[in-house]
Amino acid sequence: MSLGPAKLKWAFLAAAVVLALLLPYGVSSFYVGLATQVLFFGLFALAINLLSGYGGMITLGHAGLLGVAGYGLGILTVHEGWSLGPAVVASLAATVVASALFGLLAVRTRGTYFVMITLAEGMVVWGIAQRWQELTGGENGITGIPKPPFAEEYWQFYYLALAVAIVCVFLVARFVRSPFGLSLKGIREGEDRLAPLGYNVTLHKLVAFTISGTLAGVAGLLVAMYNNFFAPTQVFFLASASGLLMAILGGVGTLSGAFVGSAVVVGIQNWLSSYVERWQTVLGVVFVLVILFAPDGLVGLWTRFVWAPLLRRLGAREAAAAAERITASASASVVKGVSPALIGEDEGEAARPAVRAASTQEEG
Amino acid sequence: MSLNEFQLQLMNGITLGALLFIVSSGFTLIFGLMRIVNLAQGSLYLVGGYIGLSTIRATGSFWLALLAGAGAVAALGFAMERGLLRMVRGQPMSEILLTVGLSLIVADMSLAIWGGDPITLEAPAAIDGSTSILGVSYPVFRIFVLVLGIVVAGALWWVLERTRTGAIVRAGVDDREMVAALGINIKAVFTGVFVLGAMLAGLAGVVGGAYLSLFPGADTEILTYSLVVVVVGGLGSLRGAIAGSLLVGLVYDFGQSLVPDLAYFVLFAPMALILLMRPQGLFGRAG
Repeated sequence: MSLGPAKLKWAFLAAAVVLALLLPYGVSSFYVGLATQVLFFGLFALAINLLSGYGGMITLGHAGLLGVAGYGLGILTVHEGWSLGPAVVASLAATVVASALFGLLAVRTRGTYFVMITLAEGMVVWGIAQRWQELTGGENGITGIPKPPFAEEYWQFYYLALAVAIVCVFLVARFVRSPFGLSLKGIREGEDRLAPLGYNVTLHKLVAFTISGTLAGVAGLLVAMYNNFFAPTQVFFLASASGLLMAILGGVGTLSGAFVGSAVVVGIQNWLSSYVERWQTVLGVVFVLVILFAPDGLVGLWTRFVWAPLLRRLGAREAAAAAERITASASASVVKGVSPALIGEDEGEAARPAVRAASTQEEG
Repeated sequence: MSLNEFQLQLMNGITLGALLFIVSSGFTLIFGLMRIVNLAQGSLYLVGGYIGLSTIRATGSFWLALLAGAGAVAALGFAMERGLLRMVRGQPMSEILLTVGLSLIVADMSLAIWGGDPITLEAPAAIDGSTSILGVSYPVFRIFVLVLGIVVAGALWWVLERTRTGAIVRAGVDDREMVAALGINIKAVFTGVFVLGAMLAGLAGVVGGAYLSLFPGADTEILTYSLVVVVVGGLGSLRGAIAGSLLVGLVYDFGQSLVPDLAYFVLFAPMALILLMRPQGLFGRAG
């Protein structure tokens, strides 16, 4: 048959892009606005997914880096009177520097420590945003951040966000398939084994952290321009946590997952909040349910129940098995944290993998 | 800064450190045995404070509020451990992420029940007012917090070092499988320690509600302080929690008075330095 798995995948992708391009013709400005948010939060989730899903480093502070870009843009355009172009470049540069600094501290650690340190780093940015009135406007935030002149209308901004998202996804896709990206996955699956092979694990992690932080910065620029406004809530712990939720809910270690997760979370926040006042509770419940029952995320479920069976019917058994293996191994090492690396890490004492593996199985 | 101001800041830092110790000792205890980073610790603190608030409104007694806050949060911790965390035992990341989800739920539910306005609990008459220490007038309540912190530290030390239960917990920290193999029900020990950690958070919430104030977001702030405390002191170490709490309390308080805009930022300087020079924390075991 001519319809191989690769072609089928491209067909799905092409259909998604065409749908996305036609969207403003089909729905009202409200939904185009929601779609725009799905795009930039999807980028944010993609940034987290790159670090956490591919690199196995779970971060709870990425909203801080999104905030460096957003606040940078706000401070430069509104307070300093810069024009948008140079301000965008300077804010992104600031985000690269901040990401590298945060990364320097965080990548020395792993597992639970990494989570804690990124959380604290994110809260540093929040603390500055909240307290340093002169610089950040405190709780009131910064208003009047301009949109680019060619994207003033809601549909124009949607296309801008779409273009940025497509370019970023393309770059990230190239990145994760590059030798560097593969070694990153290797770090996720067992960094102790990579070091003896001559990989500079710390440097790999630092580079991944910086790239991921920069990508979060790109999302932050879009957030600031879209809202014409930036405030401490956008860099708060909750924002980092929902970004991570998007990445996991969509499916760790997958490219499409970030946008699927973003769509669901943005949907809950905007659409559901008009019916249920307690959408944050709904978000928390979704978080708990996903961790307990669907650590593969929605893309994982799709792979297991639609994609793999479809491939099998087409006769591509090996491709089906490979697809299932990829999502399952990512979620096992990232969401559950039971990869050999993390079990081996188990603090202080000499690791006894056999005993630990056995006890894990018995307890799990 | 005059000498009197310096002394005042010093005492403020130490008493704030005592409050932080009560929260983070629970945090570090849970981690030490169970390897769970309980990111809902801040939420448990906040709920404890709010339950204390409701108790004071209903009965007018701060002492009853302390009991109710600690007790109710202990029960909540029991439900969390038995109902949810057990389902993912042995999957360290799932455990952390579960506590994140729970903290979102608890924070939102607290907002629904107790509203969003900042509230400060009233200290009882017996420990209200102020006294003079070396010529500086100082609130008695803060001295009470310091005493409570010392009592908690002493009690934890006594239980861990001098009782059979403590010996089991310490053995569990070193080697869970071996303890289980000796016929000790390590799961029950896990539950007990988690409940104790939660109880300390609830207790700290009531005290913190009178020392600082209660508001949506106080949960994450306290959580962040605790994270800094345990990163500085070393996760899982009681001595580390004492040293870390004092350091964080002092740095925060002096930061607050010297560079108010950057107080929060200054807090992270010791964390960054210690991470660079001693990643396992001051009292953490190398590894």
